[in-house]
Amino acid sequence: MIKLTETVLNGLALGSVYALIALGFVVIFKASGVMNFAHGSLLLFGGYVTARLHDAIGFIPAVLVGAALAAALAGLVQLLATRGLRGAEIHTLTILTIGVDVLLSTELNRQVGADYLTMGDPWGADVTRLGSITVADARIAGIVVAVIVIGAFFAAFRWSRWGLSMRSAAADPEAAALMGIRLDRVRLIAWCVAGALAALAAVFLAAFPAPGLDRTTSQIALSAFPAAILGGMDSAVGALIGSLVIGLTAAMAAGYQNELSILGAGFSDVAPYLVMVLVLLVRPTGLFGSKELTRV
Amino acid sequence: MSSTRFAPAAAVIAALALSATACSTKSNTDASSAGSDGVKTGPGVTEKTITLGALTDLTGPYASLGKSIVNAQQLYADQLNASGGICGRTVRITVKDHGYDVQKAVSAFTETEPNVAAVSQMVGSPVVSSLSQELESKHLLTFPMAWASTLLGREYVQVVGSTYDIDMINGVDYVVRTAKLKAGDKIGHVYFEGEYGENALAGATYAAKKAKLTIVGQKIKPTDQDLTAQVTALKQAGVKAILISAGPRQTAALVGTAAAAGFTVPVLTSSPGFAPQLMATPVGPALEKMLQVASPAPAFSADNPAMQKLAKDYTAKYPKDLLDPGVVSGWNAISVLGEDLKAACKAKDLTRQGIAAAHRKQSRLTVLGVPLNFSDRTKPATYQTFIHKPAKKAPGGLANVEPAHEVPAARTYTLPKG
Repeated sequence: MIKLTETVLNGLALGSVYALIALGFVVIFKASGVMNFAHGSLLLFGGYVTARLHDAIGFIPAVLVGAALAAALAGLVQLLATRGLRGAEIHTLTILTIGVDVLLSTELNRQVGADYLTMGDPWGADVTRLGSITVADARIAGIVVAVIVIGAFFAAFRWSRWGLSMRSAAADPEAAALMGIRLDRVRLIAWCVAGALAALAAVFLAAFPAPGLDRTTSQIALSAFPAAILGGMDSAVGALIGSLVIGLTAAMAAGYQNELSILGAGFSDVAPYLVMVLVLLVRPTGLFGSKELTRV
Repeated sequence: MSSTRFAPAAAVIAALALSATACSTKSNTDASSAGSDGVKTGPGVTEKTITLGALTDLTGPYASLGKSIVNAQQLYADQLNASGGICGRTVRITVKDHGYDVQKAVSAFTETEPNVAAVSQMVGSPVVSSLSQELESKHLLTFPMAWASTLLGREYVQVVGSTYDIDMINGVDYVVRTAKLKAGDKIGHVYFEGEYGENALAGATYAAKKAKLTIVGQKIKPTDQDLTAQVTALKQAGVKAILISAGPRQTAALVGTAAAAGFTVPVLTSSPGFAPQLMATPVGPALEKMLQVASPAPAFSADNPAMQKLAKDYTAKYPKDLLDPGVVSGWNAISVLGEDLKAACKAKDLTRQGIAAAHRKQSRLTVLGVPLNFSDRTKPATYQTFIHKPAKKAPGGLANVEPAHEVPAARTYTLPKG
């Protein structure tokens, strides 16, 4: 029972960090139809800024600056895409993000080098004991912050003007533009939000029990990819549920690796993708993705 | 059918024919000649220089390790040249970065191979595997920066130091003695898929069987960052100690998570699983408390003049760089090669075959205080392992806890066939 509780807690902690990343994927996809392959390096960039600044200005300001700069960088990518390549096909823009990712991650790798950059977070290596279960404080903080931030995001999405514009832009860009919604601005904000969420995720990915931010941290963004697809690329709720499903699946499959050994060692790496494929077989647009209706 | 449709095909055939002839002119690199000083020379050796090749990773996943290896080897070459070089020739190293990409490595090899006498480092097991046939046919003595015992048994590929499986056999013995494990106890082994992890697992399994212990295996990938699930599973299984054959990041994640869960069992890794950079992170104190490192070389802080001199010289030349395990690996390999070159010079044969023959005669070579024997290519050069402990203040982040030791099981263990 203890093992189950601990495994579920791990899965939730992992899932909530994935959710921050997957939401970013979804927001960008919803607003501009682009799959942002540069998300991993945006995440690394935000984390890098936080890691470099926390000594000088303190942890919270460093996180805010990291999020702001990552948001600005994401916005810059979007501006480049809309201004520089106006009229380009969506898949061209998607490929553009791969190029941005290569450039950005090469430079960041050079900057980070062999180091493990610490985030200077207040939780350090502290742990909390709940009966016979021990959880790292940074993990708990990760879940709490993710819940608050994601809650705020959903509130904004549901009730703010930007949320309304965003939803209408996603539903029908042409009609939205005709109704006076400035698509460029909606998209710009979407990219910025995604950048900020990624920077926040980086902080919790690098916090204890991980040793710190290093050049491989950005690869975790890839794990959030099945989460976004599983939930449906254009559904924010889907991203959240998908992330939790993926987080729990990965944790369960690794935690019960020996019981699952009949399926081969290393099954936990495959499990999230297996779940994704199974869900997509039944629901091709993901759990909450909108169905595409075409009249012929 | 019009003749224009043949034109492209003809062009392709012509190009193929040209490239085929281009290849065939290159393969004639074994030609040797005697210089004016009566020393027979081959590719990579001129009247004034001896050129060595280095195929390394300076931009990929092992970039930090690659940099330390390159630095250490350059330091050795500089010192060697300052003391007169080999046979009056200056030693040069041509470094090529492949970023851990086998395709790039193969082209870099094709480019440098005709002009080098030996290869002082080759990073990456996949690279070594894909080039091993070529190395044998070109008689090119090569020092891989990988320590799987499956690499043994080849005439021209030489692993320096103990192999992963031998390190684990000695390491398990240390854990059994110090943690007072009894027959029937369980030990966990978290290991990378691929050569490194599986070779280490083979050694650990053998040692565990000898000590009547059971291994609880957890296979992971180099991209795995979070080992919470693995730690939970090992804790649940009730293991009394954990072995980890992975990268520094995974070691830190494992020890950090175990410490956070109040699961403070001894953890043992081998030198690729540790980096001094970890000591400055929040996991540092937990590493000091729980981790042991099985290493083929003494720690920089050990009472060993050769190690201390290397630490001093390295820090003087590269003040910004940390003393990581790459420094030792790089230095070890090129020191052996340096001695081979000296012996080949004495025998007046600096051809590739001459260097390799001189190498195979080295049966009593001491590098950094470790005796090495290369006379039997099917056996590791040493069966000894040092045990270190992380220490924040020590140079290289490690302090010696046990001098080199070798357990009888290391000799009775059957080495896997490569």
